[in-house]
Amino acid sequence: MKRLAWWLIRAQFQTRRTATALSMLAIALGVALGYAIHLINDAALADFSQAMKSVQGEPDAVVAPQDSAGRVPLALINELAQDEGVALVVPVIETRVRIGELAVRLVGLDVFSAGLLMPDLLPRQGAAISGDNIFEDGMYASPALLARLGSKVPEGTHRAGAGVTATRGDATWSTRIAGDLPAARPDDLLLVADIARVQAHFGPPDGVSEGRIRLAPDTKLANWLAAWKDRLPPGLTLRAAADNQARLSNISRAYRVNLNVLAMVALLTGGFLVFATQLTAVAQRSTQFALLGVLGLAPRMRLAQVLLEGLAIGVPGAAIGLALGWAMAVAFTRLMGGDLGGGFFSGSAPVIAPEALPALGFFSLGCAASLAGALYPAWLNRMQPLAQALKTGFAQRPPHQDDSPRQRGGKVLAVALVAGAALALTQAPAVFDLPLAGYAAIALVLVLGIAAAPLVTQRVFAALARRELAAAERVAVQNVGQAPLMAQVAASGLIVSFALTVSMVTMVSSFRVALEQWLDAVLPAPYYMRSKGLPLPAELLAALERPDAPFARVERMAVGTASLDPQRPPVAVLVRELDRADPSARLPFAGEVFTAPAGNIPVWISEPMQQLYRLQTGQTLRLPLLGREVEVFVGGVWRDYSRQFGAVVIAAVDYRALGGRVEATDLALWPRRDAGDDATAQRWVREQAARHGIDGVGSGEIRALSLDIFDKSFAVTYALEAAAMLIGLFGLAVTLAASVWLRARELATLSALGFDRAMLTRAVMLEGALIAAIGLAVGLACGIAVGAILTHVVNPQAFHWRMDLQIPWLQVLPGAALTLAAGIMASRFAARQATRLPAAQVLASAQ
Amino acid sequence: MLSIANLSKRHPHSARPVFSGLGLAVAAGEIVALVGESGVGKSTLLNCIAGLETADAGAILVGPQAKDIVRLDEAARAALRATGIGFVFQAFHVLPTLTVAQNVAVPLLLSGVAAREHAPRIESLLARVGLAGFGPRWPGTLSGGELQRVAIARALVHRPALILADEPTGNLDPRTADEILTLLLERVREEGASALIVTHSQHVAQSCDRILTLTPDGLQ
Repeated sequence: MKRLAWWLIRAQFQTRRTATALSMLAIALGVALGYAIHLINDAALADFSQAMKSVQGEPDAVVAPQDSAGRVPLALINELAQDEGVALVVPVIETRVRIGELAVRLVGLDVFSAGLLMPDLLPRQGAAISGDNIFEDGMYASPALLARLGSKVPEGTHRAGAGVTATRGDATWSTRIAGDLPAARPDDLLLVADIARVQAHFGPPDGVSEGRIRLAPDTKLANWLAAWKDRLPPGLTLRAAADNQARLSNISRAYRVNLNVLAMVALLTGGFLVFATQLTAVAQRSTQFALLGVLGLAPRMRLAQVLLEGLAIGVPGAAIGLALGWAMAVAFTRLMGGDLGGGFFSGSAPVIAPEALPALGFFSLGCAASLAGALYPAWLNRMQPLAQALKTGFAQRPPHQDDSPRQRGGKVLAVALVAGAALALTQAPAVFDLPLAGYAAIALVLVLGIAAAPLVTQRVFAALARRELAAAERVAVQNVGQAPLMAQVAASGLIVSFALTVSMVTMVSSFRVALEQWLDAVLPAPYYMRSKGLPLPAELLAALERPDAPFARVERMAVGTASLDPQRPPVAVLVRELDRADPSARLPFAGEVFTAPAGNIPVWISEPMQQLYRLQTGQTLRLPLLGREVEVFVGGVWRDYSRQFGAVVIAAVDYRALGGRVEATDLALWPRRDAGDDATAQRWVREQAARHGIDGVGSGEIRALSLDIFDKSFAVTYALEAAAMLIGLFGLAVTLAASVWLRARELATLSALGFDRAMLTRAVMLEGALIAAIGLAVGLACGIAVGAILTHVVNPQAFHWRMDLQIPWLQVLPGAALTLAAGIMASRFAARQATRLPAAQVLASAQ
Repeated sequence: MLSIANLSKRHPHSARPVFSGLGLAVAAGEIVALVGESGVGKSTLLNCIAGLETADAGAILVGPQAKDIVRLDEAARAALRATGIGFVFQAFHVLPTLTVAQNVAVPLLLSGVAAREHAPRIESLLARVGLAGFGPRWPGTLSGGELQRVAIARALVHRPALILADEPTGNLDPRTADEILTLLLERVREEGASALIVTHSQHVAQSCDRILTLTPDGLQ
């Protein structure tokens, strides 16, 4: 029996090479995409986690301020050190400084205690150094930093002993490189110095950035954390170090899930190709399978044979997919880094390390998609009436011809129920911060489209059939009107592929239009300068104050962070010079803006922050600020497409009133209106940016760059859309060809009755056009619905971005016309195939 | 070898039964011709005997073990066809994607005959139907008469007790039809099988041991 199965599989592969190879390729692509995303993300997370561990060491818990302007008081560090449950507390000051044009992380630590917890940061004294060391006034640089500094100073002086000046805002520390950090990771730009020296030069004066804690061996972490929870001063957080891992994973989760959904779409299209290929294969071999059934091949074996053939496509397809996925992962990490351009793990250089279990999982997924595609054709093959199939070939039962009114009612009710369920799912909240209900709603919309297509077809064509039609048109309308299986399959392929294409185009277009409007709103000034996470150089700020600075108006912004939930990435705290009575002049609000009651400090939160922390306009909020919790009033919610994890704006005047010092990191600059000052301003910005190694650009450039990044990051979706449409068209071509093949005798009979070749061609082409038109019409409706779900449900739930729906008719309608034309061309090919043989020969050989 | 009692069959949506209370017996080694007008139900009767269509009532006992195919489920009917029945069709029905030898091997694979017996049986039978050396050839290269010879070899290779033939010479020219008929009868007799041959040809019918005529009133 195995031998017979093998003969049939081999024959199938030999006679349907193109279709089989394409199905295999589609499965391979789906598996490859999913597996590559998994490998890249896994490697990036592991790499990033390793990098974090290298700098943070391996503490059990960390005490830290909730906001970036806060500090951990030394008194608390002492108190923790005296706790019996604590084996070791390592105080750390971590800050960013500028060395020339480089922004570098500077870690101040106590070398004795840190050596036990953070061995990767242990410094090594330079051999040539006699005086300066970590107890005196030196810094230790990572190998990567030493290499970078070497290109900036005369040859030979980059070694230990070279002079170095670190600046942060108006603070400066000139010292020497006293040695290196031999265990630092190869790509880390890192400086280590004595904590007291760092504190003396860059602060904070009476505290540290973090206390990293190793518990005594018999102390239970959860109990110890719970005991300390109420003793902690406000503005501080004590968290398990493992939370860092969760936070890390949360950073890219939605992005990953969305990429994986795209991979699943690719896999599903692969499954659809297997379905179309196997269905046509079953239809074309129905007489052969019927013969085998007559000769004694058991019904379950007829089913199993088609499933086996599906598996024979899936197994090599999935295996190729794994190899391709690995190659893609290696290539992408080299070209785009570990986050596929997502911007989450910039700087990481992950090493792809495949593991058996995930590989097996993705292999199984590929096989399962292929098997699922073969399931219905296998079942049809199992159910074919043997005697009839042997005599007249594949039985394409017009599925709805004999429906009773009750059955019809039942079908309409089922369609309505599916539509209701889809609608209900769009209202459901995110599950684990993922839009799972939204994805389920999308699947239901596609099911709805496929299920509704035969009903629509019958209604439309029943009406058409009642009209006076020429013979060729009559044949086409009658045939499509009965919605035979092949027509349904062809239409389904187009419905799904066109719906996915329209939905993606709609979502991307909605997002792009929203982004353009947002950029217009958030970039009111002609020029911007930005330091990379560091306070702007004091020299630059001083230059702006001089009378010869060519600016009429300068607005400063300081960027910090605040942690509202230890398992989530912190929100950005933006301290801005804006008119607190008219924040709308600077922030693109979505919804009402409330004036804060007297005595309250107003803040304005971004949409992601509103959704992540379930906040509302008009409520008060205890915001970690300046090392304590400050009660603030949420005055409004503004649209933000740049900070996915939330942002809150506070007026600089309020921040200063709370005791904060605004260390500007960003500048918005309006040139003076005098003639020629725009060019002067532009020159000034460029010169200052180059001198200080910061960004300085015009708003137009930011706009163009943002849109360019947007277009690049969605390039993969355009490629998927093209692939989906090609697969849909391929499905149409294959099923039309099979349909025509199955009706060869009918067409030959028509020919014998007086249809000439042109009439037959016209009839078949019209059939193809009608099927394509139905597929496109239903696909368009489904696509708009799916696009709306992506825009209004998936995007807000996954990325916390809201936008208005924009249907790009100028792209959609020409796309539909092109697809229709391609469909007609596919039908023409099928028609030519059908009319190639002389009718007499077809009739004579027909069985 | 074949015994039918009180067999009734009505097609769905049809007021008139195809046949009702039909009885028939074919002894071991006997070759019976079944004749009748078009549409009278000859092929339906053959399909019922093979278990391809289900009878509404009655019994059809097939093979030495006299299994009632009407009472068997679909899988058991397939198993009975695989081991106990050989088929020859008007339209040959040779699988185009398998070689001649592979086509003939199909019943051996389905009936579970040991693999070591396949080659000798196939070669011997192909030689006996006049196709010695045709084993590796593809069906597309054969004439109608040659294809029907392949079909006869395939019908006999697993040594079934009963051969069902539906118009086996209907698609052949008179000279080839004669050759094929002679060959079929010779080989069936040689194998000691019984046969029921549906035919419109008086010549074919007269070559059989017995002629039965199916009419709307039953078998005569």
